[in-house]
Parts: sequence; C-alpha cells; structure tokens
Amino acid sequence: MRDLFYDLVRRNGMPVAIYLMLAVTLWVFILIVLPQLTMFDYSFRLNLPPGKVGGPEDVYTVEQYAYLFQGSGGAGNINTLDLGILFKTLFSAVFVTVFDLLICYPVAFVLAKSSTGAKARLLVLALIVPYWINEILRAFAFRILFGSTGVINEFGMGLGLWDNPVDFIRADVALYAGLAYAYILLMIFPLYNAIESLDRNQIEAARDMGASWWQVHAKVVIPYAKPGIASGMTMVFMLTSGALAAPQILGGPSNLWFTQLVYQWFNSGGNWPRGSAYAMILLFVCIALVLLTMRIFKVSIGEIKR
Amino acid sequence: MNKRSLSAMVPSLYLVLFFTYLFGPLIIMVITAFNSSGFPRVSPWECFTTDWFGKLAADNKLIEGLGNSLIIGVGVVVVAIPIGLAAAIMLSQVGPKLRASLYTIFIAPILVPGVVIGLSTLIFWDRIGTFFNAPYESFFYSGTFLTIIGQVTFIAAYSMLVFLSRIQRFDHTLTEAALDMGASPTQAFVKVLLPFMAPAIGSATVLAFLASLENYNTTVFTIVSSSTFTTVLSSKVRYGLDPSISAVAVIIIAITLIGAIIFECRNRYMSVGWIKVVADRPALKIATHPGTVAAILAVMVLAAVGFIKSHDSSACQAEILNQKRALQQQLMEQQAISTPAPATPAETTTGDTAPANPFGGANNNIFAPQNLGGSTAEPEPEPAEPQSSSPFGKGNIFAPENLTTPPPDGG
Repeated sequence: MRDLFYDLVRRNGMPVAIYLMLAVTLWVFILIVLPQLTMFDYSFRLNLPPGKVGGPEDVYTVEQYAYLFQGSGGAGNINTLDLGILFKTLFSAVFVTVFDLLICYPVAFVLAKSSTGAKARLLVLALIVPYWINEILRAFAFRILFGSTGVINEFGMGLGLWDNPVDFIRADVALYAGLAYAYILLMIFPLYNAIESLDRNQIEAARDMGASWWQVHAKVVIPYAKPGIASGMTMVFMLTSGALAAPQILGGPSNLWFTQLVYQWFNSGGNWPRGSAYAMILLFVCIALVLLTMRIFKVSIGEIKR
Repeated sequence: MNKRSLSAMVPSLYLVLFFTYLFGPLIIMVITAFNSSGFPRVSPWECFTTDWFGKLAADNKLIEGLGNSLIIGVGVVVVAIPIGLAAAIMLSQVGPKLRASLYTIFIAPILVPGVVIGLSTLIFWDRIGTFFNAPYESFFYSGTFLTIIGQVTFIAAYSMLVFLSRIQRFDHTLTEAALDMGASPTQAFVKVLLPFMAPAIGSATVLAFLASLENYNTTVFTIVSSSTFTTVLSSKVRYGLDPSISAVAVIIIAITLIGAIIFECRNRYMSVGWIKVVADRPALKIATHPGTVAAILAVMVLAAVGFIKSHDSSACQAEILNQKRALQQQLMEQQAISTPAPATPAETTTGDTAPANPFGGANNNIFAPQNLGGSTAEPEPEPAEPQSSSPFGKGNIFAPENLTTPPPDGG
C-alpha cells in the first residue's frame, strides 16, 4: 500500500495522490468492507432489546442461520417454507437468466455484425431508453399488461384462445416476464462487446468451409463470446436473485422471493440479526452458484470484463 | 433469390419482435394514463381524460418524495463522482496484477444484491451511532444520509466504469509532454488529464443521478422513516393500482425521450459529415443546432401542459356514468322479472342497504357480475345512484371518477 502511494505521488504529485488514496480508501473500507463485516458479525448475534446489547447475553450464536434450516421447531424439524422459497428464487433466477441469454444473443449478434453507423447508434439508444424509466414503473407496466382485464387477456379471449381470464400474476408469468425485461440491457451489452470484437473474416471463413449458420454460431461465435456470455449471465443472475421491487409488485400473493423474506425480517418481523443472516445466505449461495457454473464451463473470473 | 430475401428478413423480423417486448408494455402504460376508467386499462375505453395528471400534482406525498430524491441525487453525485474518478485513475496507473485484484473489489458492489448493501449500511451506521451514543436525531439515523451513503457504494462503481472507458483512450504521452515542458505532476493532472476526462464527468453525473433517482432495493432499507420518489411510487403501486401511476410514467417517458432526442441531435450536429454539410448553409446550421431542437421541444411540452390543464372530460364522463346507470337499471329490471320472489339474494341485499341508496353499494355488484363490464378480478365500483339526476349532484360522492377529479383549475 505504501509502494502504491509513492507511485501515485511520483506520477501525480502529493495533493492528487492524497485525493486518490483518500477517496478509494473511504469507498473500499467505510462503504464496502466494514459494513459487510459488521453485517456478517451481526448475523451471528441474538435479537436482543437495546438495553441488553453488549451485556452478558450478547453472545455469538448460529441460531439465525439454523432457523433457515430448522424453523422454529428446533432440531430435527425442517423449515420447508423458507428453504423452498430459497430454491424457488434460485431456480427462477436461473430460468430468467437463460431466457435473457436466448432472447438477447440474436439481438447482440445482429447489432454487432450487421448494423453500422447511425443505425447501430439508434438501436443502442432504443435499447437504453427503457432503462431510464423507473424500475417500479416498468413492473407496473407488466402488472397492467398481465392483469385479468389486461391487454394480453383481452387479446387472448378476443381471439378465442381461452375463455376465462388467465391469472398470470398468480402463475408468476408476469413476474418472469418483468424480471427478464428488467435486466435485458445488462445481458446485451457484454454480449455485444464480446461479439463486436470478433473478426468478421472468421465467420466468412467458416462459411466458406461449408459450415451451416448453426455451426458458425456453435463453433465460432459462441466460444469466442464466452467471457461476454459469462459476465452477462453473472450480472443478470445476481441482480435477478437479489431483486426486490419486481417480486413485490408482480409476485403472486402466495409466492415469495427470498429477498422479500429478508425484507420481512427487517420490517414487520423486527429481527435484524435474522434478516442479516438471510441476506448473507443469499449472497453466499449466489456467489457459490456463479463460481460453480464458471468452473463447469471453464471460464475464469479474470476473463470477465465489461 | 426469393428464399434468400426471406432469410434476410428474419433478423429484422426478430428485432421488431424484440423491440415490441421492449416498448409494448411502456406504450400500453402510456395509453392507460389517458383513460378515465378508475383501473389502469386500455379496454373498455371510457373517456379521453387528463385528470390523472391533476391528481398527481395534488399528491403531496409524491411531491415530498420527489424533493427528497432530488436532494439525495445531488448528494450521491457529489460523493460518487470523485470516488469513481479516483478509482478509475488509480486503476489506470497500477501494474496489471494489482489492477486485477483492485478491479474485482471495485466491481463487487455492482454484483452484490442491493438488498445486502442497504442492510449492511443500515446496520453499520446504527452500530457506529450506538457506539458514540449519538442521539436519535443525529445523522447516523437520518434516512437521507444513510441513503446517500448506501447508494454511493455501488453508484461510484457505475461512474468508475464510465471513467475507465474514457481513460483507456487517454494518450499518456500528453502528460509526459507537459512534464517535459516543466509542469509539475499536479499541474499535469489538473491541466491535461482532468480536461480530457470532462465529457466523462458529464455523462457519469447524469448516469449517477438517474441511478440514484430510480434505485429501490437499497433505498427501501436505508431511507428509514423518510421517503423518496421511488419508495412512494412503490407503496402506491402495492396498495392499489391507479392510472395516476401511469401518468407518472408518461411524464418520465416524455423527459427520457426529450433527453434522448436532444442527445442524438447533438451527436449528429457534432459529426464530421454534418459539419461539412452545414458549413456554407447558416440557416440549416441554426435549424439543426441542438439548442433549436430543445427550444422546439420545450414549446411542445408547454403546449402539452396547457392542453392537460385545460382539457375537460367531465361531459364525457357524465355520459359514461349515465350509460352505466341505464345499464344497471336495465339489469335490475331484468333481475326483478326473472326472480320475483323476495327471498333471492339480490333482493335481500338491496333491502338491507340504506334506504336513501336502495340499489347502491358494492354488495350489489357481487350479485350482478354482468355490471362489471367483462372484468371479474378488479371490481369497478359502480356509481349506482338512480335518484341523482345531475352528474354533479350530491350522489356522486360515491362515484370514484369524481372523487379523483380535481377542480378544473386545480392542476
């Protein structure tokens, strides 16, 4: 760290070096690392009234973590409700991520390889514009769309596809559509960046050698774009599993998202340590899943770039 | 030949489908903002109305939340931009090995769920406040302070990415030249690197401000007892769908589109090709100046606001009200004919309600699903007041459309 500082002083002069070090240190320690450590510590404590904090009863415990597995029934009991929500959240997040990859890959490819100049810029602008609109409003739009008197139901019934309004909200269709919509941009840009740098001649060469369009993608484009695919999928997965607004607005009444459990423990539940433990579990499980997937597909973290 | 043109169409067709997914929901939401129906929907279309905008202007909670959001947004920009800039500059100056590990740390806040960031910020400052025995009014417990801190954690990383993409194009020989000519390292930084970064500072500021304004996951924890635009909006959505939320969307979409149009015009105006085109055509040059475009758009916005304020849909709404009443009356009569016995549920219910309002109330609708006009899940309260002859009469207190209608000059 001292070497780093001296190096910065030599390059930028003392005042600028102090500014650089101070800003980055504040950010990394006060804003990122210390709060996370505090929460980690907090998640191993009991939920005590303010007067007893720091007293003899304030000891470390794994009770908050055990609750996820055992519920309030004690050892031997299995908290199927909360565990079920955790698995459902992860499974749905994977589903949304794969869905986003499937719909975004062709767009990114067309954008990167077939569009040039003003047209490409306009397309990119059209991609970005929906993301300047508040997350809540985007979820609200899907609520209107999929409601029982919504456009989709009216359209489907108008065509005679189904007779009674389908409850898309309860079936979680609205939730998946809304979540996939929310993070499309984070999938497209890494894909676009990766595919754009691929030399067009490689595709031409593969075609000349008799590869079908399917083989061109499977053997040339996708292996080349693997880091972009990995970073897009990582981002979409992490953000989807950590989403709160869309599940609150679009989720069915009996289907909770894991973040909603965290929210409940903090607000109506009034048990901050348990909320912290649940948040920690979500964070670690997600990171573990991402690392495992990367190991399986042989992508190293270093390859992931934006 | 024919087959070839067909296969060439597939990508365009796919793009059209994709952009329908992207814009369809937004367009439908915009349309619902102008339907007078009390539930946001496109069909059945009742009346074209601008009343939902008036309702919005009268929503004090939303306005208060917007005020807080703007304060927080400015705070976030002021703190996050210097941090992001410092992080990007540091990354550009360190060796590759340190660079990789620093990058991982810096990028982490983007990947960590917003919920986790919000919680950890809340707990951390709560602990510090307890440690210093700070009173509850102190800034350790202030929603505004906590939200700024919590949002800066990841928004600084966004702005760092913006700065990084700019700094990668920086020609380091420029700094060396300045040093050779006798500038101190500090002078080289202030006079060479900072001006080069200026455009990125502009775009990072816009990005950070927007990200702060629309953040929900972190804010909902750190805001404590206060509120922001987004948290107010979210509680509005969760406790009842109402077209005034669509009206918010219309305003935000309009602002976004205007911003995008001006941005695109500016890009084209500055492009080398266009500078050549307008070099000897001053009139065209002025006409395509982004300022001119902005002025035209501003006039259009003013016209739209004037229209929204002056448009009066009460006549049409009264018409709809009468139609509904007539329909209900008709159904009542049908019901009375088909079920003459007094023991039927419909008769019993109407008999139980207040004598001044024999057919009114929500109860009636339960037994007359036809009245819902095709809807089954969102009961639309029927303004069932057969006695009242005037739509502006006392009876309309129960009509939701009128409750939500502000006085014409109120907006």
